[in-house]
Amino acid sequence: NSSYQLSSVPLQILIYVNGIYYIFYFLVTLAMIVYKSQVFSYPDDFLAPDLVLLFIMAILEVLRLHWGSKGNLTEEEAPLGLSLVITVGSVILSVYFLVWQTYVLKADVIINAVLLFTYGLESVLKVMAIAAFVS
Amino acid sequence: LSPVAKLCVCDLLVAQCDVNCCCDPDCSAEDFSLFTTCSVPIVTGDSRLCSQKAALYSLDVEANPPERIFKLIDQVNPSVFCIHATNYKEALSFRSPEMPTSENFDQLLERFGSAAFSAEPDSWGENRDALNPSDANETYRYEYGVPIQTEDGFLRLPSPVISSWCSDANPAGFLVNQATKCTRSVSVEKCGSVQAVSMLFYTNSSILAVNITIQSIVLQSLNGTQTSLGDSDVLRLPTALGELCINIVLGVSYHITYTDTGEITAAAVSFVLGAMNKAALSIQQSFEISFTQMNTKPVPLSGNPGYVVGLPVRAGFLPHGYPFLVENFLAALVLNTNKYNQLTILQSTSNQDCLAAQGPRTPVLFGYNMVSGCKLRITAAMKCQPLSQTLLDLLKGQSFPEYVASFGNSQAQDVLDWVPITHLRISEQRICNTFQSSCQIPVSLEIEVKWTKYGSLVNPQARIVNVTATITTTTLEQLPSGRERTIPVTSSVVFTDVSAPAEPGYKAWPTINVKLPFDFFFPFV
Repeated sequence: NSSYQLSSVPLQILIYVNGIYYIFYFLVTLAMIVYKSQVFSYPDDFLAPDLVLLFIMAILEVLRLHWGSKGNLTEEEAPLGLSLVITVGSVILSVYFLVWQTYVLKADVIINAVLLFTYGLESVLKVMAIAAFVS
Repeated sequence: LSPVAKLCVCDLLVAQCDVNCCCDPDCSAEDFSLFTTCSVPIVTGDSRLCSQKAALYSLDVEANPPERIFKLIDQVNPSVFCIHATNYKEALSFRSPEMPTSENFDQLLERFGSAAFSAEPDSWGENRDALNPSDANETYRYEYGVPIQTEDGFLRLPSPVISSWCSDANPAGFLVNQATKCTRSVSVEKCGSVQAVSMLFYTNSSILAVNITIQSIVLQSLNGTQTSLGDSDVLRLPTALGELCINIVLGVSYHITYTDTGEITAAAVSFVLGAMNKAALSIQQSFEISFTQMNTKPVPLSGNPGYVVGLPVRAGFLPHGYPFLVENFLAALVLNTNKYNQLTILQSTSNQDCLAAQGPRTPVLFGYNMVSGCKLRITAAMKCQPLSQTLLDLLKGQSFPEYVASFGNSQAQDVLDWVPITHLRISEQRICNTFQSSCQIPVSLEIEVKWTKYGSLVNPQARIVNVTATITTTTLEQLPSGRERTIPVTSSVVFTDVSAPAEPGYKAWPTINVKLPFDFFFPFV
């Protein structure tokens, strides 16, 4: 039995870095929403959807990273596939925060762009890992 | 051209060049050469945006002649928190309000029709309670000044507007006592058709939930004599009787009874009906409305609690036969509500004849010193005693009160709040009068009212402490027959302020409060 390791090390590193980055992203976005609500006119009708979507995104991110990491380490395609599907949702939410938020500041643009880049790179690595596991 | 280039806040004069306004489109190059500086150097949008257009205006003073430089640049906000985009329309500019059309009118009325509304669009139900109409089944509660509602509009008290002609549009306000007089043009031919002179007009509008009852009817004849009618249930409508038109309304007096929660419980109306003849083209009507709280007697206050300058001094009598026992506090003073029976003095007439001045008297108003008088012609035939009695009646009036209220709102039950009137008699002694006639006639009445300031220094209330009525008498000399004399008779009211002057008050001397701690002499105690 060749102890051929199929788990992708770059993917694992990226998942780990993604986790840390996401914590930073979540705190910064929350702080900026608070800042915007104080400095600009931010009525409740617009503030509530933004906050709710941010928390949904955090929950999705936790699930996504957990299954991605689990799938990669146990070399199973199913969790990895699920993680990929959740990534689609996370990408949509990130695009929301990039384009459709009530107030999009330059800092929002920067951190969301970095997040989207990370998602893209991760998705590519996951597809490669699934291909490696399946075959 | 972007809106930034078209905006110019210093362009105030239309079609003329504003001085030192570099963005003014009405200025020509020659005008620019005369400017010293640009009052508005830059016009930008919201500076929090990451990138925005800006119009720069400056004067190039080096050139000859000086010329204006206009530049349109992109201004960049270097901060990382600059606004890149917004998806909220009202974020950076004021929203122009919606134009009401027939489709959105109801919705706009619901949002903006109440006394307050939120500036944010569609706020989460904060003001929804304020928009709910109050329950229609609630009993009607009035506040001071609110027009009294009837079935078809408001209770109206005709009053003169600008000229003395009656206008029927004056609403009667709750708790606002009014008395108005106005002229109405009526002729005998049309006396049946003019609504405003018929009793029906004033009784058929029922105040919501309360019917207007007729309290009394007084008939006034053409020469002014009034008779009160016994049956006041019959409606008397104006009818033409030969050359006269009778039963036309000359005076209406509403009496509304209310409770202390602001509901109207009863409404009564009193009429003065009169007649007019063919020659008259107009009549004068007088209207009055007064409000009484339920279960209280209507007594007009002259102040609350201190007297108000200009209001009548309240006075009354103790009913005769009432023993003034200490435990008999039910000895209420009988108060005369008709102000002409209160403390009054003689009213001067135009012909200054004492014997003709026996009719109307002036009420004594608090704070107003008054003097009045008349001249009495004495003939030899006049007898002393009846003359003295006549003059006394003239000076004091028919019912001179015995007590005066010390406060403007003294109640009749509180006997201690009333000041008795002290009577003095002074006789004017003539020097060298050897033949002392025993006939003294009163020639002057002076009422002196002493009042003091009572209560707090910030809002002192006037309180009457003493009332003295001094009658000065003089001897009536016998006149040779055929001769007559004229003597002046005067009466006056004087108000004197006897407030105690302020005394200086000093703080107590500071004391040195020294006490040794209880264990000062520790080892020994």
